[in-house]
Amino acid sequence: MSSTHVVAAGGRGGATAPRPPARRNRLGRSVGRSVPLIPSMVLIAVFLLGPVISSFYGSFTDMSLTGSAAQGTKFVGLENYVQLFQNPDFLQSVWLTVLFLVGSAIIGQNVLGLGLAMLMRNGNTVVRGIVGTLVVTAWILPEIVAAFAAYAFFHDDGTFNELLALVGIHGPNWLYALPMVAVILANVWRGTAFSMLVYSAALFDVPEDVTESAEIDGAGGAKRLVYITLPMIRRSISTNLMLTTLQTLSVFTLIYVMTAGGPGTKSSTLPILAYQEAFKFSQLGLGTAIATILLVIGAVFSVVYIRALRPEVD
Amino acid sequence: MARTSLTLSSPSGRALRGVSNTVLVLIGICFALPLAWLLLASFDPAATLTLKWPSALTLDNFASVLTPELAWLPLWNSVQLSGGCAIITVVVAVLAAYPLSRYRLRINRPYLYGILFGTCLPITAMMVPVYSLFVSLNLIDSITGTILFMAAASLPMAIWMMKNFMDSVPVVLEEAAWVDGASMMATLTRVVIPLMRPGIAVVFIFVFVQAWGNFFVPFVLLLSPEKQPAAVSIFAFFGQYGAVAYGKLAAFSLVYSIPVLALYVFTSRVLGGGSALAGAVKG
Amino acid sequence: MKRILSALAVGVVAAAALSGCSAGAGGDKVIKVAYQKFGNFTQMDSQMKSVAKQYEAAHKGYTVKLIPIQASENDYYTKLSLMNKSAATAPDVLYEDTFLIKSDASAGYLAPFDSYVKDWGDWSKFPDNAKQAGQGEDGKLYGISMGTDTRALWYNKELLTKAGVPVPWHPKTWADVLDAAKKVKAAEPGVTPINVYSGKGAGEASTMQGFEMLLYGTKDTLYDESSKKWVAGSKGFEDSLEFIKEVYQGGLGPSVQDALDPNFGNTVSGQLLPQSKLAIDLDGSWLPQNWIKGGAAAWSGWNSAMGETPMPTQNGAAPDATSMSGGWTLAVGSKSKAKDAAWDFVKLALNKENSLAYDVNATQIAVRTDVASDPKYVDANPTNKFFSDLVKVTHFRPATSVYPKVSNNIQVAMESVMTGQQSPKEAAKTYDDALPNAVGGANHVTTK
Repeated sequence: MSSTHVVAAGGRGGATAPRPPARRNRLGRSVGRSVPLIPSMVLIAVFLLGPVISSFYGSFTDMSLTGSAAQGTKFVGLENYVQLFQNPDFLQSVWLTVLFLVGSAIIGQNVLGLGLAMLMRNGNTVVRGIVGTLVVTAWILPEIVAAFAAYAFFHDDGTFNELLALVGIHGPNWLYALPMVAVILANVWRGTAFSMLVYSAALFDVPEDVTESAEIDGAGGAKRLVYITLPMIRRSISTNLMLTTLQTLSVFTLIYVMTAGGPGTKSSTLPILAYQEAFKFSQLGLGTAIATILLVIGAVFSVVYIRALRPEVD
Repeated sequence: MARTSLTLSSPSGRALRGVSNTVLVLIGICFALPLAWLLLASFDPAATLTLKWPSALTLDNFASVLTPELAWLPLWNSVQLSGGCAIITVVVAVLAAYPLSRYRLRINRPYLYGILFGTCLPITAMMVPVYSLFVSLNLIDSITGTILFMAAASLPMAIWMMKNFMDSVPVVLEEAAWVDGASMMATLTRVVIPLMRPGIAVVFIFVFVQAWGNFFVPFVLLLSPEKQPAAVSIFAFFGQYGAVAYGKLAAFSLVYSIPVLALYVFTSRVLGGGSALAGAVKG
Repeated sequence: MKRILSALAVGVVAAAALSGCSAGAGGDKVIKVAYQKFGNFTQMDSQMKSVAKQYEAAHKGYTVKLIPIQASENDYYTKLSLMNKSAATAPDVLYEDTFLIKSDASAGYLAPFDSYVKDWGDWSKFPDNAKQAGQGEDGKLYGISMGTDTRALWYNKELLTKAGVPVPWHPKTWADVLDAAKKVKAAEPGVTPINVYSGKGAGEASTMQGFEMLLYGTKDTLYDESSKKWVAGSKGFEDSLEFIKEVYQGGLGPSVQDALDPNFGNTVSGQLLPQSKLAIDLDGSWLPQNWIKGGAAAWSGWNSAMGETPMPTQNGAAPDATSMSGGWTLAVGSKSKAKDAAWDFVKLALNKENSLAYDVNATQIAVRTDVASDPKYVDANPTNKFFSDLVKVTHFRPATSVYPKVSNNIQVAMESVMTGQQSPKEAAKTYDDALPNAVGGANHVTTK
């Protein structure tokens, strides 16, 4: 817990305190101070910026991996985007992506993560240690391994239905009948650790006497949570929402291994659709157009979080 | 945990504690079941998809996947790729985080928002221009080049986390160093870095784990089979057997996961890294 | 600032370039050979190693650089396309799926062979349909077949006998096939009477082992070779969907949810057939690969338990049977700087001895007539002769660059029929409506 103590002690205010007495002019000073940023800027500029711009441009072309379009790539303007918005499969994918995001990240991981963090405050040390380790293990596993374990768990002959059978429930074939439920639960299982760790640290900074005095005033558990605890960890909520959102939007392997986007297109989120268009049908232009839209969705959600919860990035 | 002890001494607190423990145990079981299946299936000569105690314990599943070609060489390559990527990322991210955390520069806000976006770039969709870039830089099939690319791709998240960590390191000690006339680099290496060792460990693990699971980037950028990491061999392995040879797949999954799990356990024990993670993202 | 940035960029790149190795010098004296190596599939690797040794011995001064690509099929295609796009990494010789020849030829990745084969005596040993499989859309030859596969009906002798179907079984029409399945259903409730791959889960297997095995036994096809247009509104298309409906909606096939599992193919070869839970299976010549010693699902009794019979045409019209073939070729990259030397490599790799060795080791169906009749090949696997004989009646897919999308639409049509969401007529109409969009415009479609 050493670092969380540091967090509590340091605070953020110090970050803007004046630095050493600089005698040079202002511009020279800020250029000098930016020097440590240069390696990161160079790496990002060389390896990411070019390909990002080139991909973005590619979404306005008929760029292809094979076929005659691979030889003479043409600029097609907005055709890829127009084609996407006329395609019911695409609109369904947008909806499924949002459903996956809201279900697994915004509600699932955040609520369960916060819940776990609060329970851990009151839990027994041994229980806390074991449960924490299990939750974190699911998160630290490589994605393909987690996906395989989740596939086995939700399979018709898998552990989940076996358990339901023990209590007399005949479970459905999750991957076939309720594929979105299965992948959402799997992603909650895999990703909750992140939120749990973030909220544990955030709650650690909530002074106990604040909630205590509220208790003396007669505020119940739920009230205390809504009026006192949540506002105090508002910034952590915002940052965590943003990071889990951006990570969840690009989840591919988990869904691909569990359902491959099926049955039919019933769990085909945007990353799955982009993979199919770009690499199965070798229409890279269309694939990058989908990726661009994915980024836009991420941006929209981020703006909402920033507006609503003001996390202050600097 | 002195802070919580007061509430727990009251009768309602004890009830709360009981409920909390029960719920925690139930959630823990839910999280454990898929993992338990993986573990048991890997020792089961006739594994199925259901969680069950193996009729006999066998190491055959492991024996058949632990070959130099399938496991040892790819794992060693993974160590090089992920280790190299994590080291470069950590060094570059610490450097970048310092001005972002300590100075009010005009570039800070746009840079931070910019890299925040970088955290969700769909790398897979970008691989075609990346491949062309690597060809023109003559970096195809170069482990160094691949490491640099993976480092660039993980930098946004790493800088973000590192900056948050650094924000929580008190400036008082630095001020003393400044007064002594220490340079920026000297302050960073002698004062700040020792104070944020757990945070650095967290970023290292985070980057390492992501690089470890990365299949597509090394697959595309490396040509020679003897340079491919374990992610590539496990993807090919899954592709071939589908999900039918459950025991072997589970065994391979474990072999492939153990290094990252071990790294995690090691760092969280030695450096307190696990709990420190939170500080990196809490904002 | 800018100067520092660019200086640093140059430094980083130079350092990386110095420490990294380039992808082969691309000089005239090196032949780069790219192929797939994947899980158990190491036969191509050992074959190429052996050919490389022979080649280097016969051509002094040349070295062969082997580039095995470790990936499943889709990823192999992606990697190969990326390599082909850049002159620096484009291979000289590549292991090319017949499925991709047309696309890759029109992408300009492959060099034509026409002038070379004229002087190659062995070329007469290749049957005409195998020659066609290597052709691009422009009619030029881009790939030489290494081996192929064919498809037919596998059946469990014991289950059919119990159901009162005389064995060896020789169905003459689709109706005969369905009759046998119905008898199994009546006689053995715990057994799945027939499997015909269908729907998106099984992917291309549904299109090829399932739908096209039916369609190419009618009078219709997917693509009209003479007008180079895709066919819409054919009766054969609807009839094929009708067959799928009878199998799945008539309770003769596997349950819909099993059939739509992406891993169903592995379940069929690894569990259902060996455990005698499936009576008839419309499937590929490669099944024994799983069952031989060291295979993914070793089954020593497979040859006595299983029988094979050709898939009949719809109403028994000549040539009585039908089959579909894929298979792989060797091709030469268009960016190769040593095309003559690369062609020499292909010739050597596909001469009689090497073809024979490969077809036997990799359990391929031989294409060369002299290999197909060689006792060493015939004796290597008890089903080799049966499946090789089907080469006479086989078809190749119209694998142009839009084929993957057409194939996907076929899977969608099959799926909506097998789940009962659409009648065969409605599903065929949906396919027809989507066809212009899939193939790049209504001018590429002809309606029957």
